[in-house]
Amino acid sequence: MADYAPVDLAADNLVTFELNGRTVSAPAGTMLVDAAYAAGVEIPIFCYEPRLGPPIGACRMCLVEIEGMRGLQTACSTPVTEDMVVRTNSPMAKDAQDGVLEMLLAQHPLDCPVCDKGGECPLQDRTFKFGPGKSRFIEPKRHFPKPIELSSRIALDRERCISCFRCVRFSQDVAQDGQLTMQERGARSEITTFTGDAYEARFSGNITDICPVGALTSIPYRFVARPWDITNTPSVCGSCPVGCNTELTTRDGELKRITGRDTPNVAVEEGWLCDKGRWGYDIAMSPNRLSAPVVREAVGDRTVSIEDGVAAAASLLTGRRVGILLGGAVTLEEAGIALDLATNGTLDNAVVARLGVASGNCAPVRAATGAQLGDIDAADLVVIVGGDPAAQQPIVELRVRKARRFGARVIGCGARPHALESLGDFTRTAPGHLADGMMGLADAISNAARPVVLWDEADLASDPGAIAALTALLAASPHATQLMLGADVNGVGLSALGVSTTGLFEAIAADEVDAVICVHADPLEAAGSIAWQAVFDGFRGPVIAIATYASAMTERADLVLPALTMWEQEGTLVSMTHRAQRLRPGAAGPAQAAAGWELLIAIAHHLGHPPAYRTAASAFTHTVASHPAFFGMTTDLIGTDGVVIGAWPADDVSPAAIVADPDHLVLVATRDTFGDDMTARSHALRTAVSAPVLRMHPATAQALWLNEHDHAVLISDVGSSSALPVLCDARVAEGLIVGPLGAPGSPIEGALSRNQHQAIVRVERT
Amino acid sequence: MSVQDQIKGFGITFRTMLQKPLTLGYPEVKTPVFPRFRGRHQLWRYDNGLEKCVGCSLCVAACPADCIRVVAEENTQEHRVSAGERYARIYEINMSRCIFCGYCEVACPFDAITLEHSYELSERERDLMVYTKDMLLTPAPKQPPLRTEGQRV
Repeated sequence: MADYAPVDLAADNLVTFELNGRTVSAPAGTMLVDAAYAAGVEIPIFCYEPRLGPPIGACRMCLVEIEGMRGLQTACSTPVTEDMVVRTNSPMAKDAQDGVLEMLLAQHPLDCPVCDKGGECPLQDRTFKFGPGKSRFIEPKRHFPKPIELSSRIALDRERCISCFRCVRFSQDVAQDGQLTMQERGARSEITTFTGDAYEARFSGNITDICPVGALTSIPYRFVARPWDITNTPSVCGSCPVGCNTELTTRDGELKRITGRDTPNVAVEEGWLCDKGRWGYDIAMSPNRLSAPVVREAVGDRTVSIEDGVAAAASLLTGRRVGILLGGAVTLEEAGIALDLATNGTLDNAVVARLGVASGNCAPVRAATGAQLGDIDAADLVVIVGGDPAAQQPIVELRVRKARRFGARVIGCGARPHALESLGDFTRTAPGHLADGMMGLADAISNAARPVVLWDEADLASDPGAIAALTALLAASPHATQLMLGADVNGVGLSALGVSTTGLFEAIAADEVDAVICVHADPLEAAGSIAWQAVFDGFRGPVIAIATYASAMTERADLVLPALTMWEQEGTLVSMTHRAQRLRPGAAGPAQAAAGWELLIAIAHHLGHPPAYRTAASAFTHTVASHPAFFGMTTDLIGTDGVVIGAWPADDVSPAAIVADPDHLVLVATRDTFGDDMTARSHALRTAVSAPVLRMHPATAQALWLNEHDHAVLISDVGSSSALPVLCDARVAEGLIVGPLGAPGSPIEGALSRNQHQAIVRVERT
Repeated sequence: MSVQDQIKGFGITFRTMLQKPLTLGYPEVKTPVFPRFRGRHQLWRYDNGLEKCVGCSLCVAACPADCIRVVAEENTQEHRVSAGERYARIYEINMSRCIFCGYCEVACPFDAITLEHSYELSERERDLMVYTKDMLLTPAPKQPPLRTEGQRV
């Protein structure tokens, strides 16, 4: 991890000071460790971590000699001042470094051969670099029972802890879950939760990254590999639209670990990952992973090789009018190739559409100055309009909490209650009435110097009044920037390619399509599943599913081609902040599976129209870069940190508006990252899964004669949901029901219309 | 070439004709090796039968020929293999790559691996040159049979 904060040596408030006899400069107020590191002098540290907030000087490793100050000073908590004379290598400073390291090691077990941190351990590295080289300690060391489980995913080895407080500060200040604390004193100090229960939090995995010793280690990665056994690949997480930059650890062709990058992308996730992004990769090994093509025939299912599967796909498509349905998480390459095949004569005039939220009408809001997640840090006002960022885009929560730590005010309005509402003033609005809530925010936004408005794509797309109101709000303040809380993983990328959410459904219903390819898309488990089911029941042509996991669609399809997951394939995803970032493979995947883009290219070859590209990078150049948002972009240009894409003419339709009225109940679906089908299949995340429930106000539940934990079914005019337990939550507005989108078995999707996340429903007790 | 040179040369020939030959009848007779000769590796056990190797992979890091592969696993109460928290589930040395430098021996923090005096390592197939843990490990010591309750001695 990046231990030292970057220093802006081009700032105008530079001060000049003397460091080890050299004259160097740094901006006033920079901590001495950072200023020295920028000047090429490494002052050893353990507890200092700029991302955790102000330094606390707990480990005493950074002691330096400063002229005019009595004794030694901690360089991590001493800001540089003009004409300061600092010595980091004087006999006194060196003696202090030796002393501190000797003291730390006196209570450290030195079981490096069995410690998972061995080889990538800051304590090891700094002992080699700055330590005394020899220990005089012969007394028995402290011993605790060997590793205890801090949670089901984190092992705690208390005797290795050097009490640097990094994990406690992460829990208290960054994630603000308030769980971790240091108990007892002196040699008996140990990290624990206040209650003694397991540390269950959505960002808990980050403490294994920031622990400078092997005290906190990841249980799924326990004893799996050493740093010299592995290769690390920078990639990006495709679990939610945030697009956190990750590093995939591969050993023997298998994905073994996901961590934040050594140099975090400050514009996106700043090195923090949610537990799903970190540990959810084991679903790639789950039993319902598709590993070989299946041809469904009258006599039964037949498993074939991938070559035969592709040939079978081509023969099913020959001479047919084809429809291609793309899921919300397909890569730009897959979508680009699908569009290319539809226009270059391979699949004559194929209809290409996607599943997901249609937000073409949000274009006026998107046209306002966009912010990256990193810009939230510097904001003095964070406005959250609609949505449920803590559940749907987890990392946003850490950014908003950080901004508030820096003094920003947090305000907002919306229909769904969420975890960030406790940070400031929020008004509850009924669905379809976001504009009313925004009226109260106008003054604050126009008075703020650097306001950032976070708005929920799905909430605004189905609320035309809100788009106009938000556009006016953003236009009124010259400093205001906006940041979309997206709904689909690659929703922005697919919109930028001009893939519409409509067209295919109507084409299938009107019998204008004879064959359908679903690429990572399952319409039978998406919003509007009842309507899709009806359409597919009457569809007689072949259905080809390119998918990674077994689902309702792969059961229905006539041919299933297994595809690779986001950890195994190349590709480009565009995050909700319009950032194009590259997926890179960190695992090989099943032998009889191939990336979606590879399968599409292979099908084109079998159809007798070999495309001009063979690799993901050239497919990007040939099929994606011709679209206005991606002009001049190449995979090299995107690099490891990503680039922000350009504007595009939005021409997608807008979904029907859902406006709440007192006589009807409104269902608002929220996609909880930890409550979806993926999380439920992960073994590592088994204790983090949030159960699917219908949240409603106690008064609403009472009016419906429902008690908490009763099971209820929602019925709308398009269909009905499965029975889900009721949870009373006084924060939910009366007349509103918050339901889980994408939960295992897709319980509420049946009650929703296509591409919608809200519906007028009535409730029946079961 | 002069006559003197020829006499000199034949002098050596006739002199050595009278000496005993140095050739050994290998494989019946073997050259003794030096005490620090580095031959085939051996993995060692403690006297109680537990393996010394904890699967720390330091030998892998030290190996200049990149011929060792270690995959570690955790010891459990029911299945205790080594004396530490972890043990090597897989320990392989590719002998056709090994250069017998002995760095693995030097790197090992538990003296679990040493290079012994055996040097007859040729095989007819390359696959057979990958030595697995069973081949490298010292056989487990014979446990003295424990007397079960009520058993007569």
